[in-house]
Amino acid sequence: MSLEFLNAFKFMKKDSFIHNLDPRAKLIFALIYSISALLFTEIIPLILIFLSLIPLILAGKLIKQWLKSIQGLSYLILIIIIMNTFFLSLSFAISMIIRICIMVSAFSIFFLTSDPNDLALSLISMKFPYEFAFSLSLAFRFIPTIATEAQNIIDAQQSRGYEMQKSGLINQIKNLFPLLIPLIICSIKRAFNVAEALESRAFGSKKERTYYYTIKYSFKDWIFTLYLLSFLIISIIVRINFAIMPDWLSWELIV
Amino acid sequence: MKDIEKQLPLILIDNVDFTYPNGTKALRNINLKIDNKELIGIMGKNGAGKTTLIRTLNGLIRPTNGAIYLYGENIASKSIATLSKKVGVIFQNPLHQLFSNSVKDEIEFSLKSFEFTKEEIQNKTNEILKEFNLEKYRNRSPLNLSGGEAKKLALASIICRDPDIIVFDEPTLGQDGREIEFLINLIKNKRKKGKTIIIVTHNIEFANEHIPRTILMADGLILADGPTEKVLGNQILVEKASLILPQTHQLNLALKKSGIQCPNDLFSKDKLINFIRDFIKNKTSEIVEGND
Repeated sequence: MSLEFLNAFKFMKKDSFIHNLDPRAKLIFALIYSISALLFTEIIPLILIFLSLIPLILAGKLIKQWLKSIQGLSYLILIIIIMNTFFLSLSFAISMIIRICIMVSAFSIFFLTSDPNDLALSLISMKFPYEFAFSLSLAFRFIPTIATEAQNIIDAQQSRGYEMQKSGLINQIKNLFPLLIPLIICSIKRAFNVAEALESRAFGSKKERTYYYTIKYSFKDWIFTLYLLSFLIISIIVRINFAIMPDWLSWELIV
Repeated sequence: MKDIEKQLPLILIDNVDFTYPNGTKALRNINLKIDNKELIGIMGKNGAGKTTLIRTLNGLIRPTNGAIYLYGENIASKSIATLSKKVGVIFQNPLHQLFSNSVKDEIEFSLKSFEFTKEEIQNKTNEILKEFNLEKYRNRSPLNLSGGEAKKLALASIICRDPDIIVFDEPTLGQDGREIEFLINLIKNKRKKGKTIIIVTHNIEFANEHIPRTILMADGLILADGPTEKVLGNQILVEKASLILPQTHQLNLALKKSGIQCPNDLFSKDKLINFIRDFIKNKTSEIVEGND
């Protein structure tokens, strides 16, 4: 088992239109695309929303990482297909898969292109308390560290005969303990260490802080936000008036 | 062990390369032959490929190119579970593997993948707790042990599986003098019982004193492989691997620099002590004779 797919959520410094956008604009983007995906259960509108993500992925030079994030969903996709086809319909299963792909892709683009430090700065500029903004950016920064640690734990347990792929639901649940307990313990220990390291550097000693770097909502950020808002408004209008929309929009698989 | 297995090299690493998915080449053209009952040290700077190399031995990492043979058999198709019965890898951080409610359960977990009866598991657990002086912590949570004891427990949980090859990743890291002494005795005992031991370490003094064969690595390549005193005595190679010469070698160089004639193989602690003792004795008698 590899946790390589978690790298699909790790910030990678690049020079692209998406990377250069303000993190707030990208946060709005991830939220609006997720809301739009939640508005529909029909295949065609969801495919259209999904397709509208492709130019952004291309503009951000993120194809490889994005494919990894989708690859990481393969087990979940399988469960969704089995459960939904069995209890509901194949059409609904496909809709749910596209919906999840949209949400994961949107947040993957956000995490891949937003520097955690810029994210903290943008939250502070949105009047969030500094401690909260810093903790959040620290949490994002630690995602790849935790992934590496989880891989080490899997390796250490496998080295003493631990077998991950055991059959049966109870065995599968039991199997998680040797991985989760060390991971939780190591994470708690690291959290304490980081807290002590921060306190030893006088974290939070001054209420008012100044910042070496500042971020600014530029013209291109406003244009991008305008596009996002119009995207959301169109999605809401289509949803409300779905009954009077062309028939092909509500097409579904008949099995 | 079958007779034919005894004749073959225990481990044969043939032209092994490994590249991580992010493109980092961790191992390049590695060729190694390790015989039965050997004690080998693998040294080199961080990122040299030491840990990657030992992870290939029990199948945690599969080479991108080349093959690894264990008792003459290619391990490519063997599962980690099968290989871990023959190759026990002890990782650096004990917290990565401790999760049970008690020290006893932790050992029993390692034994459950074998086809032992309940009684056999209990007996083996008792034996190993005694061997590692962990009996008094039997019912204690592994998470309440000190760093050194946790490392001992992690070690015990691999040793109890009685693997033919024991691989240590930085065993002396964070260990006090007594714990290192315990480790040295353990290694000696295991070698007497015919085990092959591979140790990845940055501790040059430990390697110089206790390990007869050293493999020096840098940038995924093997820089040198041979008797420890020769490998660690080569200043150019040692510097290339971001290490510093062992103290005995440094003293040897200092003696030569100050014009004292000393033998070329003066690298072990015992040899050095004897030489200095004889040197002082001779000098003292020379002075006494001069005064007379």
